[in-house]
Amino acid sequence: MSRFTRTGALRAVVVFGALAAFPFVFPAQWIVNIAIFTLMYAGLATAWNLLGGFSGYLSLGHAAFFGVGAYAIAIAFTHIGIGGSGYKPFFALPLVGIAVALVSVPIAWVALRVRAATFAIVTLTLLFVVQQLAFNLHHITHGSQGLALPPPPFDVSTFEQPFYFAMLGVFALAFFTCWWVKGSKLGLMLFSIRDDEDRARGVGVRVTGAKVIAFAVSVGFTGMLGGVWAYYIQFIYPQFAVDPLITIGAVLMAFLGGKGTVWGPTVGAFILVPAQQYMAYKLGASELYLLGYASVFLLIMLFLPRGIIPSISDHLARRRSGRPEEPPGAVASAPRATLPGGMAP
Amino acid sequence: MPAAGGQKEGQNVRRLVVLISLGVLLAVSVTLAACGGSSSSSTNAGSTSSSANGKPLTIGISLSLSGDFSDPGHAAQKGYQLWAKTVNANGGVAGRKVKLKIVDDASSPNQVVTNYQNLITRDKVDLVFGPFSTLLTGPAASVAHRYGYAFVEPAGGGPAVFQEHLNNVFFVQPAPTLNCGDPFVAYIKSLPASQRPKTAAYPSLDDPFSSPIADRMQKAFEAMGIKTVYKTIYPSETADLTPVVEKYVAKKPDMVVAGTQSEDAYSQVKAMVQAGFSPKFVFLANGANSPTEFPSKVGAKNTEGIFSCGDWFPTSKANGNPQFVAAYKAQYGGTPFDIDSTSAEAYAVGQLIQAVAKKTGKVDNKTIISSLHSGTWPSVEGNISWNADGSPQGSDMLLEWVGGKLQPVYPPNVALTKPTSPKPPWGG
Amino acid sequence: MHLFIQACILGLLAGGVYALMASGLTLAFGVMRVINVAQGAMIVLGAFLSYTLFTKLHIDPFVSVVLLTPLMFLVGVVLQLVFIRPLRADEREELSLLVTWALALGIEGLLSVLYKTNYRSTITSYADNSWRVLGYHLSEVRVFAFGMSVVILALLYVVLTRTEFGRTMRATVQNPVSARLLGVNVERVSALGFGISVATATAAGAVFGMVTPFFPGSHYDLISRLLSIIVLGGLGSLGGAIIAALFMGMAEAVFAAEISPTWSSFTFFIVLIAILLLRPQGLFGTNERGAL
Repeated sequence: MSRFTRTGALRAVVVFGALAAFPFVFPAQWIVNIAIFTLMYAGLATAWNLLGGFSGYLSLGHAAFFGVGAYAIAIAFTHIGIGGSGYKPFFALPLVGIAVALVSVPIAWVALRVRAATFAIVTLTLLFVVQQLAFNLHHITHGSQGLALPPPPFDVSTFEQPFYFAMLGVFALAFFTCWWVKGSKLGLMLFSIRDDEDRARGVGVRVTGAKVIAFAVSVGFTGMLGGVWAYYIQFIYPQFAVDPLITIGAVLMAFLGGKGTVWGPTVGAFILVPAQQYMAYKLGASELYLLGYASVFLLIMLFLPRGIIPSISDHLARRRSGRPEEPPGAVASAPRATLPGGMAP
Repeated sequence: MPAAGGQKEGQNVRRLVVLISLGVLLAVSVTLAACGGSSSSSTNAGSTSSSANGKPLTIGISLSLSGDFSDPGHAAQKGYQLWAKTVNANGGVAGRKVKLKIVDDASSPNQVVTNYQNLITRDKVDLVFGPFSTLLTGPAASVAHRYGYAFVEPAGGGPAVFQEHLNNVFFVQPAPTLNCGDPFVAYIKSLPASQRPKTAAYPSLDDPFSSPIADRMQKAFEAMGIKTVYKTIYPSETADLTPVVEKYVAKKPDMVVAGTQSEDAYSQVKAMVQAGFSPKFVFLANGANSPTEFPSKVGAKNTEGIFSCGDWFPTSKANGNPQFVAAYKAQYGGTPFDIDSTSAEAYAVGQLIQAVAKKTGKVDNKTIISSLHSGTWPSVEGNISWNADGSPQGSDMLLEWVGGKLQPVYPPNVALTKPTSPKPPWGG
Repeated sequence: MHLFIQACILGLLAGGVYALMASGLTLAFGVMRVINVAQGAMIVLGAFLSYTLFTKLHIDPFVSVVLLTPLMFLVGVVLQLVFIRPLRADEREELSLLVTWALALGIEGLLSVLYKTNYRSTITSYADNSWRVLGYHLSEVRVFAFGMSVVILALLYVVLTRTEFGRTMRATVQNPVSARLLGVNVERVSALGFGISVATATAAGAVFGMVTPFFPGSHYDLISRLLSIIVLGGLGSLGGAIIAALFMGMAEAVFAAEISPTWSSFTFFIVLIAILLLRPQGLFGTNERGAL
């Protein structure tokens, strides 16, 4: 299965190269700031896609793990005091990711005992439970008082860059994991679960293992992004760290770009986040924020349920071949390639 | 799966996708860069001088005009705008007309960071004022601090903000939010020992501005020898407080000190009325200090003798307050008791800048920060001074429902009438 | 002991209203496998509508239920036609989750524009009255709310068991394919089913607004409770949902009174976990499509 396509690799090199150069080309702080949130959501949507897009299990509770990651960094700061500030919290991120992934395994095992609809319910409930825990466990989270992290000692002119590259790093990691999974045996297992779980189980696919691994990896990345976010925002409150809108934002972006594809979530995030942040700033006093959000969502669901990338590929494929409709499997035709070892952005 | 023949198509599609994503990336970057003008990374707005007379003084503010905090957000907006209008009618600040740039943060911390970043590094406003709520003030204050902007703010009085030790923060209320129960503690202390309560219950809302108030009071009361018979913290979605009230009614405390917000305060009063339990002292941190809403929610006859706390009062004679109230009535109508104290707090922020400008002739951030750190400054919130972290050093006032009206009763220097106790039975 | 019994009474009364709220949710799932995440928002919408009728026109919330439910039934049918029906059948279950979530956000957004975001409550003249029975007090509003829920649920039961429409609906729940073969218009049944679901939400909302203060964002808390209830009862099982609602209402109240109000909302989650571990299909669910 491991096929290496040069175009795929080239594209990745170009995009991630451009992203790496971005803060040097556009060093204005306010632009880098928007880019940070864009990368964060690109990472969240990509991570969500690994489970929701590939296996068809829609998690509505990823924000819970985003919050766990955020609190992990904040608590490490305030209670354990990992070296004050500086770059150290970034080095703790991999640990946060692994810890969140491990914590999620028993949760995943319980939540994934049920079929997709109930799974969505359970994850949604999980989100509120984690938020409630953040409120209630006063002695470690300070409850509704929130946690404040010390200000990072970075120079004003390049203050945002460490956060930008941290977000970019986690996003790239999530992206290439997704890419690799898509062409791997695990990817095949996940797709077979999405298509027909019972049949997959019947032919001997170890569905539970595949689902739990996808869940754990997905929320691991989500937790790491939460950690970077916490350090950047500096103030952690339960209602912001565990916010249903974080999940729904990531899901919306994955759907907009095309769930189940490698590039879809990224495309969705790159369109929506800058638009959202900039519009809210520009248009200012619009009471219609939530309404606008909901309408965009509904329009996508109704008119572009498969997302931009599959729809475009579909359209092109039809035009070229004159065939009326592609079989559903082909629509998810983003690169089906694995990375050669050692390729990094 | 794409057949062999589809391979080429697939590649074309992929190329297109790359082009689109790169296009989007570029388009976004170019637009941003174009809008941003020069994207030089050095911003020393801290040294904006006031020599540019005639140039308007632009003040950037992010407010929650939508989302969960939109009601107080709008109240703050009214206060800011009223101040700008008043000051411009009188020639502006240090000879410069004030121009407010108010943007919406939809009650989101990410947006509040983006907004202050944009205001400071893109629009290069001269000054920034604070948003509504501690929850958004913290992230905003640290952005402002980074660029050397003074952060005079009306609403972020929780400990997390002061804990950052930012020298540019000034919370424009007489006292940190958590100290709002201090005047009540002082009042109880002033009573002869025989009239003091012997037992107390502390039911509080889990909210940054509620339960910590009661915690602080509990410590003080315990030190005075008042026995704690009940204490609980209920989550914010506990809409029905009957079970909580049932629990403390069973203990029959002399005093109920509740760290409340609004609806939970009404719910507790109603449940006490239903249970027919009237303690000698009832202190509700918030909710009972709303002159019009409280009697409408619990019934005017049930308000008598209930204590609450306030940072501002419509009939206060503090610096410029009568003028503020009159201007507010002229602009927005209603009675003085309809004015949300958030509007007064926002107005006070502007007053302080005005006072600094008057004293020093300058309105740059450095001057504002160094001036406000020394001495006491006048505003409709009273005369305020701050410690190094921006925490105000004064005291709030104790309000009480006396004769069907909410009145400041303690400390004596701000009282309009004398406090009365014990509380009469429900129904007056 | 006194407190315990008092908590049980409170919980039972609250549970009755939860049962009404959850009935529509589980019915919508049973008929068309749609998890209506917007059910909470519909309840809040119902609360705001009856609040407006009460404050502007002085119509008692129990009267406004009679006016609002037919109206909201129609709204529900339209919502189903516009937003749910166009979804492809094989993706309906998962996409409907997101579509209804978007609907919930839309309703929340609309309500925050129209009503702002502070808390409201519908306070009638008898809001503070209560009866004393054997030393326990029963709030009049809560007893009426419970009574109304029982009446509506009984009506629903009669409709489902005694009418032709009810029979086609139950047939659809049990097996949509054979129902279709037998000449049942499944799409029509689905639309009407969604209408009923929204109507029950509205009715429940009207009384919810009298018992509890609410604001446009109240729906998140509601929906997480209701979803736990219907999972406990077995997705699609009406009887299961009612029993689960009564049980959860009481469990929560007792937990709040005896242990801690801070942790009482965890009763829902603890029960949910236990169910997933022990009986993933719910108390009354079967492995087949949900029974009614």
